[in-house]
Amino acid sequence: MYGWIWRHLPGNAWVRAFTSLVLVLAIVYVLFQYIFPWAEPLLPFNDVTVDQGRGATR
Amino acid sequence: MPVVSVRLVVRTLSELCITVGTLIVLFVVYVLYWTGVKADSAADSQISALHHQWARTPAASAPQRSDPPAPAPYTGGKSFAVMYIPRLGKDWHKPVLEGIGVKDLQKGLGHYATTTRLGQPGNFSVAGHRRTYGDPFKDFPELRPGDAVVLTDGTTWFTYRLDNKPYRTVPSDIGVIDPVPAKSPFRSPGRYLTLTTCDPEWGSSHRLIAWGHLDSTRPVAQGKPQALTG
Repeated sequence: MYGWIWRHLPGNAWVRAFTSLVLVLAIVYVLFQYIFPWAEPLLPFNDVTVDQGRGATR
Repeated sequence: MPVVSVRLVVRTLSELCITVGTLIVLFVVYVLYWTGVKADSAADSQISALHHQWARTPAASAPQRSDPPAPAPYTGGKSFAVMYIPRLGKDWHKPVLEGIGVKDLQKGLGHYATTTRLGQPGNFSVAGHRRTYGDPFKDFPELRPGDAVVLTDGTTWFTYRLDNKPYRTVPSDIGVIDPVPAKSPFRSPGRYLTLTTCDPEWGSSHRLIAWGHLDSTRPVAQGKPQALTG
């Protein structure tokens, strides 16, 4: 998988390394900005209220 | 060639495992650290917005009177007060937002919109995170009877005093935010306060509840109440 990506990146080794770094940072950004904020409320740490219908209070 | 395909399968599988492991580590970093960073900056901006708003509508002109003015209706999703609990830390203060939705509790404490307003007869009830999002109620079990819970809405300081050690109950026990909660030490209507959070720290099976009563009020113009200065 990673070997395949590396082989398909353009440029010499330095350019590829730089592109890889940018890709990794972009993925981490998307995770922290969009994926994790969506996933985290599905875990129980948010359940701090007494129930008034789960949809409204979680 | 079977050797090559076995190698490919093993390699791809290992790469997937490493990827999933990295994802999990990143998620833990997000939950433990990044939610706190986000919540602290959200709380700070809520509080500075409140101070800005209070500065524009000076409360100092209000004449001296024994009864604090009734607070204006709260807007859902907006902060309307700042809470101080000296027991949780000398500098512990959090904004209180109207509503207990996910978004509200990510920025500070949430006021149960169905309960009464600050200082009014009834039960002013507030929920907060035990863990994640700045860990506002992490030390909730340390609360003791007599502890001060001080709130300000820009016009008045409200000093509530707790009356019980945190009481552990189940999430469906909605009676704890009743005007006169049955399990509380209170027997007659009054101006009460309820704080709720989750228990155990990272779980959701139970809730911790603290009850208090309104001890004193003080116009903001007269300075901080003794509970905060002493």
